[in-house]
Amino acid sequence: MALNLTRRKFLQTASLAAATAAMSGCFADRAKAGTPFVKKPFAAPGSFADTKTVTGGICEMCFWRCQLVGKVRDGRLVKLEGNPKSIDNGVSICARGNAGVKLLYDPDRLKFPMKNVGKRGAPEWKRISWDEALDECATRLKGVIDKYGPQGIAIFPHGCSATYPMNFFENVVGTPNNSEASFFQCRGIRDTAYVATLGVPPGENVDMANAKAIFLLGGHFGENVHVSHLKRYLKGLENGAKLIVVDPRFSASVSKADIWVRIKPGTDTAFLLAIMNYLIKEGKYDKKYVAEHGKGFGEFAKGISHSSLKWAAKTCDVPEKQIKQVADTLAANAPNVSIHPGRHVSWNGNDFQRERALACLTGLLGTIGVKGGFVPGKGPKVGKVGWPKLMSEHAEQFALHTMAKLYKFSPPGTPTDLIRNTAVTGKPYAIKGYVGWGQNPIQTIPDQALTIKMLEQMDFVMVCDVMPTDITMYADILLPELSYLERYDGYIHKGTQWNFADPQQQFIAPRLPLVSPIATDHERKDSIWIINELAKRMGYGEHIKVKSAEEMVEKILAGVNLSIGQLVKEEGIHLQPGADPYGKALDVEFYSAELAEAGYSAIPTYVPVPEPPKGFARLVYGRSPVHTFNRTQNNAWLHNEMPNNPVWLNDESAKKMGLKEGDTIELVNQDGVKSRTSSVVKVTPGIRKDTIYMAHGYGTMNKAMTVASGKGIDDQSLITRLAVDPETGAHGMRNNFVKFIKNGKVLSIPA
Amino acid sequence: MSQYGMIIDLEKCVGCHACAIACRAEWEVPTGKDSAQRERRRNWVLRLGPSKTPQGMASTYYPGLCNHCDKPACVDVCPADKVEATFTDPKSGATKTMQVAATWKDPFNGTVQIDKERCLGCGACADACPYSARYVNEEGGEPKADKCTFCVERLAQGLEPACVQTCLARARIFGDLSDPNSEVAKYVQKGAVKLENAKVKIGPNVRYYANKRDMHLLTTTSIPKTMPQANLRRTIMARMLKPAMDQVKNLGMLGLAGVVIAKGLSEDDKQ
Repeated sequence: MALNLTRRKFLQTASLAAATAAMSGCFADRAKAGTPFVKKPFAAPGSFADTKTVTGGICEMCFWRCQLVGKVRDGRLVKLEGNPKSIDNGVSICARGNAGVKLLYDPDRLKFPMKNVGKRGAPEWKRISWDEALDECATRLKGVIDKYGPQGIAIFPHGCSATYPMNFFENVVGTPNNSEASFFQCRGIRDTAYVATLGVPPGENVDMANAKAIFLLGGHFGENVHVSHLKRYLKGLENGAKLIVVDPRFSASVSKADIWVRIKPGTDTAFLLAIMNYLIKEGKYDKKYVAEHGKGFGEFAKGISHSSLKWAAKTCDVPEKQIKQVADTLAANAPNVSIHPGRHVSWNGNDFQRERALACLTGLLGTIGVKGGFVPGKGPKVGKVGWPKLMSEHAEQFALHTMAKLYKFSPPGTPTDLIRNTAVTGKPYAIKGYVGWGQNPIQTIPDQALTIKMLEQMDFVMVCDVMPTDITMYADILLPELSYLERYDGYIHKGTQWNFADPQQQFIAPRLPLVSPIATDHERKDSIWIINELAKRMGYGEHIKVKSAEEMVEKILAGVNLSIGQLVKEEGIHLQPGADPYGKALDVEFYSAELAEAGYSAIPTYVPVPEPPKGFARLVYGRSPVHTFNRTQNNAWLHNEMPNNPVWLNDESAKKMGLKEGDTIELVNQDGVKSRTSSVVKVTPGIRKDTIYMAHGYGTMNKAMTVASGKGIDDQSLITRLAVDPETGAHGMRNNFVKFIKNGKVLSIPA
Repeated sequence: MSQYGMIIDLEKCVGCHACAIACRAEWEVPTGKDSAQRERRRNWVLRLGPSKTPQGMASTYYPGLCNHCDKPACVDVCPADKVEATFTDPKSGATKTMQVAATWKDPFNGTVQIDKERCLGCGACADACPYSARYVNEEGGEPKADKCTFCVERLAQGLEPACVQTCLARARIFGDLSDPNSEVAKYVQKGAVKLENAKVKIGPNVRYYANKRDMHLLTTTSIPKTMPQANLRRTIMARMLKPAMDQVKNLGMLGLAGVVIAKGLSEDDKQ
């Protein structure tokens, strides 16, 4: 507190200084100083000079959705900052959030509806009117529906603005073939595994700020950045929480860790089982919690009793005493322990079991509803306004995983793998219409060649996006969307204060535009307008519930007695008293009868994953702090911070291979697929010899992305082998192996 | 008299680069390199390691900016004609008049500033800085040296420096090092270090706080090895350009906190 006061006093002193400067009149003199002979030098005035502050921004450079204010000068956005009223991110935003300005004014953005008069993958674009574009989309999508049924359409959505189109195609058109990347290639497995175990999807709801120990399985915070999430993590560390990080690589989180478990990739479930078995055998688990809330604990304990520390040590390639140390640290700090559920969890095709194990460990330690534990916050509720569920039954009937009796714990939608296989084989039915909205499956889904095959066999491909990502090269009709900074899109952000130790508060923050989209050089539209226009032309006009995105926001807000006008008055964020988040226990299905009935392992089970072939190392990827996958790659500011994605290689291996830090290299995988582009080597002792690592999202193909095109290596291009999780149908992407290429010569990686 | 300074607490820093981008947005810093191949940046984050240190494996960051040094190497090399300038201490009201070129160290807040109007854009100052904290902004038609100002312009509005405000970790702490009660001074007492050595010892006022292994990594990789040699050719070229510049009347001083007005300017006005 004293420090804060000092800071305030300090800033006041500085204000006085400004007054002095102004009185001296140098600003006035400076204004007169220009002469006809001298150009006025460039001197940025600062974001505070002659700007007005517009509130109500909700960031979408990633999907954490920090609350923003915009500094606007003459209608132009100059700078983004965290909304001072925010109880979530506060005045802070990350690098990507700060760089939103550069997305807004990116000259490579899609501007007009376009028709591909060339080939898919090698497009030639012809500008067309919205009427022409929408007429053609409607006619051709209707053509697919008439010929093949609604299930003949597949939708690939991502982001806030994709919800309305997604619901239209699912609920009104009636296709089950919805591939949400955020579920099938990211966190869906986590959500369904936790639902099967604790009854709720976990989000990232661990109370790290108030934990005595934090346990991360692959979490690399700092490289992976979500503002309020990191605030919780850092507050925990500041308060002295022990940090345990399990990772084959010395990640950003490992650099702050007390214990680094340098695990062999793919073996995490074995590690977790050994910890749980040890805790049970030693009686170091929360007996009271388990007795009161555990289900099938006996079967569970018996079922994992073979999982000795010795076995795990050998399987995971970590010292036995370290596993014991981790288990003892968790037990000693229980129940105030954050067992982090992870976020991107589709790794090796054995991921549902790993997530189940994490949920069971959470239950075993009784760390649910307690300080530092798994604590879903109590946020406000707001309603939804959208499409009526007219065709849900039809969709359900044609759901591919239901028809095939596969993936019974699949997240909502249909597993991408099934959609793609069905499209390519035509069995059990044809999928001939592709609708992409904000998702770039080229860099999201393993086996690019198969994805392209799927696109090539379509009767019609429609894509709507903000940027010309690689998928847009395959569109027949390409539609330009407004960015998150200049649109309403029906999204309402809500939550609680970031630290549960603070007074309980809730917030409601709808996305309001920070700048007007009116401009002479483009015809971008929001998704609600686009889909309504399409719906009318396809004959579904009568089902439209909202005429505009703005009306949608008004209707949702009216449900909680708020309005856009009120929110503007409240500086973009409505605050209200919250509720105590602690105290709620959850039942724990240690043994899941539901899983047993569906034919899956009823207790968490370790399923070994393929080993790297001789001369290869496992390709592991992760996040860069300045990028959100491929989406942000063309941002000039972000690109400038990290223009490529160095490939991490163990220093001893590098020496044997004759590779030095900064050497330009390419990669080739186990199927002989070479990277299209090159990157550089990062030589470090901070990675296992059997693993190489790079940041995901680089190596854009599309030359229309003039900043990003060809920069760094596209990890997804090397992920040709699928590992499909049997419970969920989600894609595991870390069972691929690579060698290096330098100057055309293939270099094996020593064991 | 104050000395503004910054602490970078590497125990907190997560290496997210928000500071660097917030600065770029605030001051419209272009990307890429200037014609002398210097990075265009006022503010940067470099990732260090993972590497072995005597204290074990380490990985940390080098978030950098102008050090607003006690003896700034960039100031004396400025070839612009000196003018008389009077500075006022906002605290005491005391004034001090000195001869300054187009860049100077403020006698009252200790910041190093540039007068963009009088800057010749020669880049001598950028060459002289051992920390590469200056670059030449070539965007505006006329090249001008640019660097971190500690956001004195924002301070004047009661705002924090842009990099400090956006930092989610509160790893950047700004304040007055001369005030023993300030948070920055307390970090100095706790052992926050300057990036300097026997060869490069010009009194940087940005200090770093870290655990032993991270500090080892930072200091072994990020302290400049030598003081850069001034680029004589560039300075000569700039001096040749000067007569033309001297013709320009109304040489104004940038209206920075604490700066009053160049005497020469008032005289010109009278004529």
